[in-house]
Amino acid sequence: MTETAIQGIITGVLMGMIYALIALGISIIFGVMNVVNFAHGDFVMFSMYLSYVLGTALVWDAVQTPLLTFPILLIFGLIVYYLIIDRTLRQLYVVQLAATVGLQIMMRAAALVIWRGQPRALQYSFIQGNFEIFGFQVLTSRFVAAVISLIFIAAVAYFMNKTWAGAAMRAASDDLDAATLMGVNYHRTYALTFALGSALTAIAGGLLMSFQQTDPVGGIRFGFLSWCVLALAGLGSIPGLIAAGAIVGVAESLQVTFFNPQGRLLAVYAIFILVLWLKPRGLFGRK
Amino acid sequence: MDTTSMLQVSNLTVQFGSLKAVNNVSFEIQRGEIFALIGPNGAGKTTAFNAISGLLFPQAGQIVFKGTDITKLMPHKRCKLGMARTFQVVRAFNYMTVEDVVRVGAYNRQGEDTVAAKVDQMIELCGLGEVRQRVCGDLGLATLRRVELARALATEPELLLLDESGAGLNTAELASFMDLLRKINREQNITLCIVEHLMQMVMGLSQRIVVLDSGEVIATGTPHEISNNQKVIEAYLGKRVTQC
Amino acid sequence: MKRPKLLNSKNIAILVVLAIAIVLPLFLRTNQYVLFLATTVLLYAVLASAWNIIGGMAGQLDLGAAAYVGLGAFTTGTLLIRFNLTPWVGMFIGALLAMGIATLIGIPLFGFKVKEVWYALSSSALVEVFRAIFMMWNKVGGPTERYLPFSAEGPRSWYLMRFNTYVPYFYIMLALLVVVFIINHRIRYSKLGYSLLALGEDEDAVEVLGVDSRLCKLKALMIYSFVAGLVGGVYGCIYGYLHPSFFSTDMSLEVVILGIVGGMGVTYGPLLAAIFLVSFREYLRASLSGMFPGKGLEGLYLMVYALILIVVALFQPRGIAPLIKRGFLKLKSFVGVK
Repeated sequence: MTETAIQGIITGVLMGMIYALIALGISIIFGVMNVVNFAHGDFVMFSMYLSYVLGTALVWDAVQTPLLTFPILLIFGLIVYYLIIDRTLRQLYVVQLAATVGLQIMMRAAALVIWRGQPRALQYSFIQGNFEIFGFQVLTSRFVAAVISLIFIAAVAYFMNKTWAGAAMRAASDDLDAATLMGVNYHRTYALTFALGSALTAIAGGLLMSFQQTDPVGGIRFGFLSWCVLALAGLGSIPGLIAAGAIVGVAESLQVTFFNPQGRLLAVYAIFILVLWLKPRGLFGRK
Repeated sequence: MDTTSMLQVSNLTVQFGSLKAVNNVSFEIQRGEIFALIGPNGAGKTTAFNAISGLLFPQAGQIVFKGTDITKLMPHKRCKLGMARTFQVVRAFNYMTVEDVVRVGAYNRQGEDTVAAKVDQMIELCGLGEVRQRVCGDLGLATLRRVELARALATEPELLLLDESGAGLNTAELASFMDLLRKINREQNITLCIVEHLMQMVMGLSQRIVVLDSGEVIATGTPHEISNNQKVIEAYLGKRVTQC
Repeated sequence: MKRPKLLNSKNIAILVVLAIAIVLPLFLRTNQYVLFLATTVLLYAVLASAWNIIGGMAGQLDLGAAAYVGLGAFTTGTLLIRFNLTPWVGMFIGALLAMGIATLIGIPLFGFKVKEVWYALSSSALVEVFRAIFMMWNKVGGPTERYLPFSAEGPRSWYLMRFNTYVPYFYIMLALLVVVFIINHRIRYSKLGYSLLALGEDEDAVEVLGVDSRLCKLKALMIYSFVAGLVGGVYGCIYGYLHPSFFSTDMSLEVVILGIVGGMGVTYGPLLAAIFLVSFREYLRASLSGMFPGKGLEGLYLMVYALILIVVALFQPRGIAPLIKRGFLKLKSFVGVK
């Protein structure tokens, strides 16, 4: 019983690091631009399919595929920004949200049409097997994925804090008018932010493909999980994001281990609702 | 209870994280007067305003409106008690027509059968007759300031809080806006509290002034006293002069 | 502006449409497929019109329509199966239950100022959560379909609200649509309507005008969930079984799309959108099922839907209703009617 629980917690924490990485993308976009990309989870799903296609075609390992999918998602993010997001910035909030809901449906539908709704998985992986810590089994691929996620979270944090582009993003988030006056072109900054936030899903997608399969509806799940992480973490705190990722990952993993796997989102939803109720607006961040 | 007192703010403190945007501020607004709250950028004027109108809750202090403690009251209940406000950045409802916007405010005290008359009255008072069917998103700033004023007045307040409502208006627009405010104050006996940047408007309108700097009160008095106060000149006027 | 009189030229047009709708089944009696399509169009129009109150007026992106539809269907159906209670009564109990649950969720949600994306997420998660609950709850739901009792003829058929033709369902939905239209119209030109429209744009600004935004949103949510629950009760009878797949994210999304494409805050917008889009979807389903076997088909119509939603959001954020209105006015001046 306890052993199963600890096993579940380990799996959950490792998984949670990937959720944190996905949520970081949302967090950057939401924090800087105050734009909600409802389709973010579907970006992950899309990245996973891309990883599958490239991994199969080039006989690459899943964790290698982000080398190609990252730039692809970066460009995809730019296209989406200029085609949709940039035009809805001054719209009514519902309409802005609805546009990205449209994008979400579009991507899911595209996956349904292209891959006939069938789950796909990669066969090749040089990260095989598992290792043991204190008698508990840890899947090597999950462990590697978690470590890589943490590295990228740290890298993005560094980028945001230490580079000029990062400073421009933060300036744009603090005061749009002032930032514009100081020569920050907010359209370009926003585009960069959106593209970066989107491209992070490429890494998450590649990592997920190393031990999971992908299916079109998975996007909704990833989206919800990562928004839940963000709700827990609030904006702007990297350690908070990692902790929140772990909590959500563990909740999901324990639900699957001990209760009905059908309701894998129930525990997460419970946390989400509790957070929404108990953490009023101030704690969501600066807004 | 002091019947001449409209609003009493005592020891108001509002904190954002470690920053004290408003620190231990006290002042009192008398019934019927035009009162001004001034100070340089970031002095905490708008924050104080938000606390008074209920859009944020202070960490410490008390706000008493007409003898009732309203410190923890929801904004809409404060409005029911007789308080209304406008916003620094105009927050009209862009997709609604002028008369519909005013109507939202008028419902505060009017039922379905009398609301239309109230709307007509307010639209006439604020000179919005020509644009009443227009959608707010199509209107210019000067008109929108009047729309905001009209919808606030439609709630039939006793105390009206005006947040930088002269900002962005040209000289002619400002003069007519000030006339309108004087008229409201005199004829409808509505107490006005204005937060202002524009010295022209403050000095021309107000009877008493409180000066804020970095969240604290640094001076209180009549326009004449304030303009000769050394502290104020240093903290506020002086800064502006050197800026230019 | 006073509430427009119920009998002006516009509403006469509506009455004409209504009259056509009433006699429509007489001509289509034999064509069950078209009748089913018409019923589906009306069903979605009812849902989208109800959504218009919370989404179009109050500006809350509610993605939970299917949660209330599912609750209504399961309550009505279970009452029929277990207690032999007629759906004519059961649907109201189901609607009350849906409204009750919506209220229980809504009070803390609105109370703590949960809005915008957080509201959208929480409502969309609601659908998934109820599906999971009903999937696991074997006494009422479970992964296998539960069939409702059926009787082909006579009063028993009416008691069970189960018919071998779509005509009665068509009229039930039509009646619901008329009721929802009247509710919409009354709210739109009342204190609640003006307050909702304003708070949909700026909640703080409306609060300082003496509007209790939480209460207004809660009222909107209650009306909306009640109607959706009512529709759910009939929905179960139309399909003749209960299944957790009734809690469908796609249905919720479709309702939102119809609401936005039709025109937010416009009473008749969702009906127009439903007529065009739902028929189009069914047309695609019918004509392309041979070409694209399997799940790909579902993707195709979703893609078209999504494209329309994005295009409308970008270029016609007020929906197609204003376009139709302009066209109507042009037609009027063309015909020469004043």
